[in-house]
Amino acid sequence: MKTIDNSEDQDFQDLFSEMKAKDSAIGVPQFPKIRKSKSWGLIPIGIAASLALLAWFYRGDGSIQHLDHDVIIITLEEGQNNELQFKIESTTELESWESPTSSLLTDF
Amino acid sequence: MKKRQLENLLKELHQEAYHWSRQCCSFDEDLAKDVLQQVYLKILEGKAIYKEKSQIKTWLFSVIRFTALEWKKKAKNTYSLEAEFDVAETEQEINAASHEELIEKLPERQKEVLLLVFYHNLTLEKAAEIMEISIGSVRTHYDRGKRNLKELILKKTLHENNR
Repeated sequence: MKTIDNSEDQDFQDLFSEMKAKDSAIGVPQFPKIRKSKSWGLIPIGIAASLALLAWFYRGDGSIQHLDHDVIIITLEEGQNNELQFKIESTTELESWESPTSSLLTDF
Repeated sequence: MKKRQLENLLKELHQEAYHWSRQCCSFDEDLAKDVLQQVYLKILEGKAIYKEKSQIKTWLFSVIRFTALEWKKKAKNTYSLEAEFDVAETEQEINAASHEELIEKLPERQKEVLLLVFYHNLTLEKAAEIMEISIGSVRTHYDRGKRNLKELILKKTLHENNR
């Protein structure tokens, strides 16, 4: 079937052609990027994450930290005759430990 | 049809699809973008399946029209599809500045059929497929649409000449 079958339709044809010309100036949004299913690609990431988690749980005692520079530790100790004496030592390793009740010292 | 092949065809028709979406959304660009996005999502999720019974353009236009109607219903901004009233415009009302405003004055189905035939160069049969109505009804809407649009153009010209 012909859509435009007589000459009087030419007016409409012109009107819609003008409309098309105007529309060509309108910005058409980009065709959306279709994301491919990444379910297979996620498997190695999942395995790596699980291994990292396991390593973190089963790691050895990591409380000993190796320092870049020597550290001088000065402690005050009580001697045999109840006198106080300074003990000065130098080390490259630092064992850090925080008392579970240390917050009481600051909070109260 | 393979997904990749369908994607390429959709890409080719994207520009035309956007303009049709815009026309189905009363020339609202933002709404047209949302509707088209929804259409692509429906196709990729397999909610709208191309069964190769018709041309891909006819099928795509049909999905766009249906989705736009869904959105309009959601927004409670529905148009009565059965409205078949002839245009009864007063002289003051014919002050449409653009062709779009002029076409918007037509009843929904008359507007659709004229756009599909004259703007998108589709046959009346294809327009009937897209609009999901019989060829006889399409012909009626087409004839009434042309008559009404002609009247609107004449009134607009008269209005402009009387200024």
